[in-house]
Amino acid sequence: MKLTRRDFAAGLAAGLAAPYIIKSARAEGAATIKIGMCAPVTGPAAESGRYAIQGAKIALEAVNKAGGILGKQAELVIEDDQTTNPGIVLAFSKLAAQPDIVAFLGSIRSTQVHAMAPDVLKLGKPVMIGGTDPNLTHMGNQWLFRFRPNDSYSGRVIAEYGVNTLGKKKWAILHSTDAFGTAGGKALAAALEKLGCPAVLDQGYANQSQDFTPVVLAIKQSGADILGSYFTFENDLGIFARQLRQLGVNIPWVGSPSIVNITALKLAGPALYNTFGVADYAEDSSDAAKAFGKAYRDVVKVAPDNQSSWTYDAVSVLSAAINKAGSTDPAKIREAILATKKFPGAEGEYNFDQNGDGLHGYNIVKNDKGNIVFDKHIEFTD
Amino acid sequence: MDLVLQLLFTGIGIGAVYALVALGFVLIFRATNVVNFAQGEFSMVAAYLMVVFAVDLGWPYWLSFLIALGGMALLGVIFNLGVYYPLRHRSFLPVIIATIGASILLANSVLAIYGPQPQVLQGWFETPGIQLGPVYLDSQYLLIIAVTIALVIFNYWFFEHTLLGKKLQATSQDKEMASLLGISVSTMIMITFIYSAVLGGLAGILVAPVLFVSIQMGSTIALKAFAATIIGGFGDVAGAIIGGLALGVIETFGAAYISVPYKDGFAFLVLIAFLVFRPQGIFGERVAEKA
Repeated sequence: MKLTRRDFAAGLAAGLAAPYIIKSARAEGAATIKIGMCAPVTGPAAESGRYAIQGAKIALEAVNKAGGILGKQAELVIEDDQTTNPGIVLAFSKLAAQPDIVAFLGSIRSTQVHAMAPDVLKLGKPVMIGGTDPNLTHMGNQWLFRFRPNDSYSGRVIAEYGVNTLGKKKWAILHSTDAFGTAGGKALAAALEKLGCPAVLDQGYANQSQDFTPVVLAIKQSGADILGSYFTFENDLGIFARQLRQLGVNIPWVGSPSIVNITALKLAGPALYNTFGVADYAEDSSDAAKAFGKAYRDVVKVAPDNQSSWTYDAVSVLSAAINKAGSTDPAKIREAILATKKFPGAEGEYNFDQNGDGLHGYNIVKNDKGNIVFDKHIEFTD
Repeated sequence: MDLVLQLLFTGIGIGAVYALVALGFVLIFRATNVVNFAQGEFSMVAAYLMVVFAVDLGWPYWLSFLIALGGMALLGVIFNLGVYYPLRHRSFLPVIIATIGASILLANSVLAIYGPQPQVLQGWFETPGIQLGPVYLDSQYLLIIAVTIALVIFNYWFFEHTLLGKKLQATSQDKEMASLLGISVSTMIMITFIYSAVLGGLAGILVAPVLFVSIQMGSTIALKAFAATIIGGFGDVAGAIIGGLALGVIETFGAAYISVPYKDGFAFLVLIAFLVFRPQGIFGERVAEKA
């Protein structure tokens, strides 16, 4: 047989295209639908990593019971991100090398999402995230989809609740001086300015402070009638809360999510009674949140928190989106996620915007003698 | 004035913690001429031992306290035999690096067992504190200050008025001479490590109800305590105490009157100033090098 130039060109084209066709065919034709997940199995956040994996698994089990994804059973492929930035880059690259994985779950930590973001963009497949840095969905990476309200909402919700619900106008703001605390403090200060109640004290502190006496005395002297806070570490929060009460400051206090964190409640004890916090997950906030709480308790035997609720929602929304798209094509999945509206999740109702943000508000919860009680949900539409 | 008194009490309380850990630094430095960078981890390990016995096992507080200090004495022995003794004939650098390695090992071992979440340890007293006029006195800080004063007196008596104390002093001043006089240098160094581990442990147990029990608690305090030893004069017991107290008061007042976020900065600013203008510290003697 004589090899013509045309035959050679056709063969070359087929050879080059074959791996992509096979990859695509493998994903479509695989026995199961695979979802990759980077989670801190080891490292400082290993405990919260366990909760995150449990949340995702509970959602996946429900999806599989309801018929799976595109008629197939779904499967979770987990890689350890070691709670570090290099760790998550390595974990994601291992998962990305598996062509039959159709979408991924990233991290709850913004810094880790920033670290993996360039590889996500290169791969071009949807990645669900829990990091709350507003920039993550505003930096031109179309493959990141957020399942927690971003930080710009927490400041607005704290201000809104304190001014309009509690009726307090003289605010003291206390925030850590790291990226999280500074951004949160700024967002709260801006929201208060907008509501016509500029803060009478805006105080930063360095993480891992052993003593907050000067801060408490500054709050006392400022004449503030309400405190808004952004604490990064629970032990700082615990030390401050105790000293605040010991030195006789009993003004209302609305804090960022760490104020209702299980560890913070354990460390500070009664010093945090009657404080308020913004929480993306509150069990009594909706029927979907209650259902997740029950499902989680049945399996894990402890109360769930936002470490598990966001992964639960991410798997639920992603599965529904793939089913709606009718395909595992990344672009079609992306379109289906962005088209998700009024989806009842454990964290709230998902209404995705074009940036990839699914949630636009927070729950306000109250520490009622150590029990976290849902108070109200504040949603923003702008 | 109320504000000043409140800040002064807190500053002395925090400073007393630095002083206790600094004392451990100084004793080991005097005996071995090396800095033990695991001194902070001694505090952390003792605090976790208290969590094991007093919280997890529910044993009486005083019994847990004694067992924890006993455990620290044992750790002092292991540390001496495992970290210092094999390197005793080497220069100070390998020993210092070995102590850094040991501190990492201790921190990660506790992390592997207990995880990263901080733990709660109750204080000695039911009452959290007392209100004395305009000043609130935290009972745990009162205890820390009292223990520091007691230790200053004990150290003076022990090193100046007991034979063992004098042997330890002789060993720290000149090992060869002490050996020629029939003092077992290795035993004296062993005793120093035990005493330093117990002191570090005591600081950890005392401060744990205030700062909580966490993996980082030791390193955070140790860094300040190290600065305190330099300010006080490296190798001087009284200097460690005065340096620690001064550091606590300076950073508390600095935070209140200048800047809260730069609170740690004041401590190290003072340290730098001492290194530049008085490197021998408050009580240290000037050492001149011969040409």
